[in-house]
Amino acid sequence: MGKIIVEGLKKSFGKNEVLKGIDVSVNEGEVVCVIGPSGSGKSTFLRCINRLDDITGGKVIVDEYNINDPKTDINKVRENIGMVFQHFNLFPHFNVLKNIMFAPMELGKQSEKEARENALALLDRVGLSDKANAYPSQLSGGQKQRVAIARALAMNPDIMLFDEPTSALDPEMVGEVLGVMNDLAREGMTMMIVTHEMGFAREVADRVIFMDGGYIVEEGPPEQVFGSPQHERTISFLDKVL
Amino acid sequence: MKLLRGLLVFMCVLLLGTTSLPNTQNYASAAPAGGKVYQIGTDVTFAPFEFEDVNGEFVGIDMDLIKAIAEDQGFQYEIKPMGFNAAVQALEANQVDGVIAGMSITDERKQKFDFSEGYFESGVVMGIRNDNDDIKSYEDLKGKKVAVKTGTEGYSFAEANAAKYGYTVVPFDDSAQMYQDVVTGNSAACFDDFAVLKYGTEQNNGLKVVTDPEPGASYGFAVRKGQNQELLKMFNDGLTNLRASGQYEEIKAKYLGENAETSASLSRWELVKVSLPSLLKGLGNTLFYTLISLIFAFIVGLIFGFMKVGRNPWLRGIATVFVDVFRGIPLIVLAFFIYFGIPQAFGFTMPLFLAAVLTLTLNAAAYVTEIIRGGIQSIDRGQMEAARSLGIPYRKAMLKIIIPQAVKVMVPSFINQFVITLKDTSILSVIGLVELTQSGKIIIARTFSSFDIWLVVAIMYLVVITVLTRIANRLERKVGHNG
Repeated sequence: MGKIIVEGLKKSFGKNEVLKGIDVSVNEGEVVCVIGPSGSGKSTFLRCINRLDDITGGKVIVDEYNINDPKTDINKVRENIGMVFQHFNLFPHFNVLKNIMFAPMELGKQSEKEARENALALLDRVGLSDKANAYPSQLSGGQKQRVAIARALAMNPDIMLFDEPTSALDPEMVGEVLGVMNDLAREGMTMMIVTHEMGFAREVADRVIFMDGGYIVEEGPPEQVFGSPQHERTISFLDKVL
Repeated sequence: MKLLRGLLVFMCVLLLGTTSLPNTQNYASAAPAGGKVYQIGTDVTFAPFEFEDVNGEFVGIDMDLIKAIAEDQGFQYEIKPMGFNAAVQALEANQVDGVIAGMSITDERKQKFDFSEGYFESGVVMGIRNDNDDIKSYEDLKGKKVAVKTGTEGYSFAEANAAKYGYTVVPFDDSAQMYQDVVTGNSAACFDDFAVLKYGTEQNNGLKVVTDPEPGASYGFAVRKGQNQELLKMFNDGLTNLRASGQYEEIKAKYLGENAETSASLSRWELVKVSLPSLLKGLGNTLFYTLISLIFAFIVGLIFGFMKVGRNPWLRGIATVFVDVFRGIPLIVLAFFIYFGIPQAFGFTMPLFLAAVLTLTLNAAAYVTEIIRGGIQSIDRGQMEAARSLGIPYRKAMLKIIIPQAVKVMVPSFINQFVITLKDTSILSVIGLVELTQSGKIIIARTFSSFDIWLVVAIMYLVVITVLTRIANRLERKVGHNG
């Protein structure tokens, strides 16, 4: 479980076509990092996978579900796809524990006792056991993002999507979040990560996808994409960011 | 929610406190023991024909007359003091069965109403300020302003002669305002029915009469043309009996004769003290109508608010039209339309209570809709996305994630709307709702003490609104702390 197949994916906002035909498949347990200049469609691509954005053409299949089939219960599919956002999007009116317990309890997956134990275990995993009763406004950016990861993990998903998880963080907090993500990758989670952290991508990714102008321009193992990029646009992008 | 409950409790306490006062406004002559109870519309401010006395009883020549006639003929009725224009419109709209309001029998009115025999001979006189010695006749009015009350003989007379004598007509809705305009010097004179103005001068309204009565029409009791003919017949029969028995003259003398009762001139403080029960009852009504209307407005606003943020374009369109319509119509026009317009068009009787609540509710609901829409849309889109990405369905995400946050944003706007609606209830005095402002008008109609009563009324609004806003703000802070 945890396989993604994308075929000919297109997405337009009004007349503006952001994704112009994406083909990619992600295997179970694979870690894929998506890089590219801003405006290249990376985030939109990620949001199409759990249908936060409706697609305009092509197909997205997660495990046995066709995401855009009207017969698909999208909520059911989403339970298996955790998502972490650039701006954390923690629920400010809940404390940390409640943020994590909310979905499993609300969807009847766990009893309150189970949810609490699970949440405390997840907090331990992201190194925030002492913040269980804090409110999001009392946390630093790095702590917020680690809570957000714990929240996404609470539903025991097979797939995790990360949409620029460190872009809104102060530089000294980037490490703690990447550390948690690194652990996840080692544990065999299927992950798609939109990121600007090239060092991290090189280290954890099984595969790197370079996007530009709504297309996948180049993809391959990190040593290939970073070490000997084939395409001119990849070369010029990497020149700027490395 | 805690905040709302707190507000509710406070308002209920206030309501109980004000309405448990001795019931001073008993318009009904007798308990309806069976048979039809006729609804009789009248003016609130037409002393000595109808006005509220110190005890809050509705008295006057018209009131005593209808009472005596009802006893003589054995029918039951209920008096609805609503202002002259409102009473006439109410009769046209079938909202009342008859009107007795010192109404002159004119050819124009005969088109729409059937009148009884005249029961009082009227005649227009000119009133000027006590200390004014410059104006002795109509010729002295050239280039000046003349105050009149709309719908009266004085108004028709003033209109008819405006060109001849070269004055400008300033129309008012009630006698007290008309007199006050002359006392303050805005208008040089007023034209009013002799009996009315004479009574006013006896109550020290600050005016004096300087002309002899013009020959005029007589006052009659009116019903809608072709309807309630049995009521009209009973009125005529009763009037004949009262004239024969001498009771008619007694009633007239009670208010206009040498020994007519005059309210002893009260000191300011005493005046305020005797007026307080009526004013507090008015305040109770103001709070009652505010509360009821806001509860309904909240429910309606909630529905339309969610339609507005929802994904269905049809529902969104309906909600938008609702807001545009009821935000775009002035409250006073809406009140007239609902209370007079709709019943006339569809031929039914709209209870005042319903009309008042409906008017306030529709108006407030338009604003509540916008408050709710704004509150929900102010919450970052990421909150909904985060909830949905976890597999939470739309409704649940709305209920558990968006609304709890939106409510905090909405609370200040709700408090604001509450204050606005509370103040707006005063506008409903135009359709005869006896809330705080109307209570003030009624007292002034009797006492002509504009300054003292309006001051007290203003202070009452101020105190209630200040106290309620403070409590609401405190509760709001408390709610804010919890998260």
